[in-house]
Amino acid sequence: MAIHEKSLIRPENIRSQENIVIDGIDVSGHWSTFINARVITDYNEKMQDEIQALPGGENIHRCWQCGSCTNSCTVNAIEPRFNPRYWIYLIRMGLESELLRDKDIIWQCVSCNKCTNICPRDVVPEGIMKATAKWLELKGHTEVNPSTHFDEAFMEQISATGRIEEGKTMRMLFKRTGRSLFQDWLIEMVKRIAVKLPMHYVFGMGIEQIFPPRVSGWKKRLGPALDDYVHESEKKQRQALGLDDLISMAQAEVRPAHQKAAE
Amino acid sequence: MSKPILIVGGGPAGLSAAHMLAQLGQKTVLVEKLPHLGGAPIVSGYAKLVPSGEWAKDAIGGMIARVEKNKLVDVRLSTTVKDFKGEPGKFTATLSDGKKVEAASAVLCTGFTHFDAINKPEWGFGMFPDVVTTAQVEQMISSGQGVRRPSDGKKPQRVAILLCVGSRDRQIGREWCSKICCSVSANLAMEIREELPDCHVYVYYMDIRTFGLLETKYYWKSQEEFKVKYIKARIAEVTAQGDKLLVKGEDTLVKRPITIPFDMVVQAIGMDPNVDNMLLSAVFGIDLEPHGYIGKANSYGTQGATSRPGVFVAGSATGPETIDDSIAQANAAALAAYATAQGAGLKAAE
Repeated sequence: MAIHEKSLIRPENIRSQENIVIDGIDVSGHWSTFINARVITDYNEKMQDEIQALPGGENIHRCWQCGSCTNSCTVNAIEPRFNPRYWIYLIRMGLESELLRDKDIIWQCVSCNKCTNICPRDVVPEGIMKATAKWLELKGHTEVNPSTHFDEAFMEQISATGRIEEGKTMRMLFKRTGRSLFQDWLIEMVKRIAVKLPMHYVFGMGIEQIFPPRVSGWKKRLGPALDDYVHESEKKQRQALGLDDLISMAQAEVRPAHQKAAE
Repeated sequence: MSKPILIVGGGPAGLSAAHMLAQLGQKTVLVEKLPHLGGAPIVSGYAKLVPSGEWAKDAIGGMIARVEKNKLVDVRLSTTVKDFKGEPGKFTATLSDGKKVEAASAVLCTGFTHFDAINKPEWGFGMFPDVVTTAQVEQMISSGQGVRRPSDGKKPQRVAILLCVGSRDRQIGREWCSKICCSVSANLAMEIREELPDCHVYVYYMDIRTFGLLETKYYWKSQEEFKVKYIKARIAEVTAQGDKLLVKGEDTLVKRPITIPFDMVVQAIGMDPNVDNMLLSAVFGIDLEPHGYIGKANSYGTQGATSRPGVFVAGSATGPETIDDSIAQANAAALAAYATAQGAGLKAAE
């Protein structure tokens, strides 16, 4: 390799021509190496506002980059690329392409909230990690991550019955994340629990599988109210991120009341 | 009744020294080189003062009015001191109009000079019309015109404020921190965001020194309420591209070079020693400290003492200073000058 410092340069920034002759001199391959500039040429001013529109991201503008969050981070200790301080900065300045380089690890925040407790400016970095992961999903930069699958499985049950059943949540999560329920560790766990479990518990669990318990009157009042709230929040978030067709939304808003009622 | 006390300079410090001495029944002669009183806040057209938030023309205007109508203060405008001879209790000052003034003691409130941003040519002041100083933005606000691009009068969409222009820079012989520019800049950033909510303001800093209680009122407030963005970078150069200004530097937090377009660049100019300090040093026979400000003895045993007995100093003549502290120092120096006029210094000497 002609330039040994190449290892320090991001591969996508190295450009060379396979076959090129200049003034009769063959400069093919690494002889025509050029390095793209890493210069930041603009700020995307929308990015901070978009993250702030998502739950958890509200305080991002307070950050003064002390690095307490990264210092205290549980995940950073095992994954050095996990750097909340850095991501917060990228979002504030709107350096989207840089943030996207780490898109597959941002969701890995374990919500230990050590950063939240230590932050001198009440930025709530844990919330920002959640908001950022959500932002990446909504913008289509990442697949729906396991954490979101869990949240959805959880919320769907709440929406339907006002309660959750842990076994079902696990089954839904495993199904949605494409994992088999017959994991060695899970089988072992169930076996050991089964030995100690009183019979009336087993019986009760069986009944609940057939007749899922629900909060009384859930479907009449609380359930729909919660669904409305969730729907409204999601609509606002999508709007803030510029994801929905604004014109059709505006039209939906001006529909006459009787039409809405008829629907 | 003792001889009058000579006060040199009619800015916040000089005005408060004159007022303090008048309250004590002491006559003063206030010499001001410009045709009007008020000093930097008035001459440079400051808008709202830090940290009071009061308009300069009201706050300092009030100080001017109470001195102007006080019979114990003899104001001499457009006048300088050419010669200063004698000893404590019996000095004779010769003024630029040839008149002689007998004085028991003197208080120098000669202030500072704004750093001339043309001395940092790489940042484009004097080269591009939309590169302005904090003093100019103050004037845009105080005149009621509002913050506009000088080149086309348009409202800027994106403004950069560069800190430490003429401060903390050995390259141009200015090692000191001018102390107040961080707070002033944060204040201006908030003023801009308030007037032009669609305008984004970025502050390029080396350190933020909104000292003491100013932290909450300026740094935190500008970030938390006004969403001013702070970027740790010392700018390398400002160039132009079309009608935009290109700010080049290194964003040290992401270790990346930056070339960002702006509509307007504001330079937070520092406080230089008064350009007349060499002259003042020669006329009054006083020492300057190494940076070029007027040297001041320590405050434990004396108040505002210079190297010459009977000559006192206060305010930003001694180094970068806030208006509030200049006023406090001026009152202390006025009392020390008053004690000298009453013969305290002479009695102690005997």
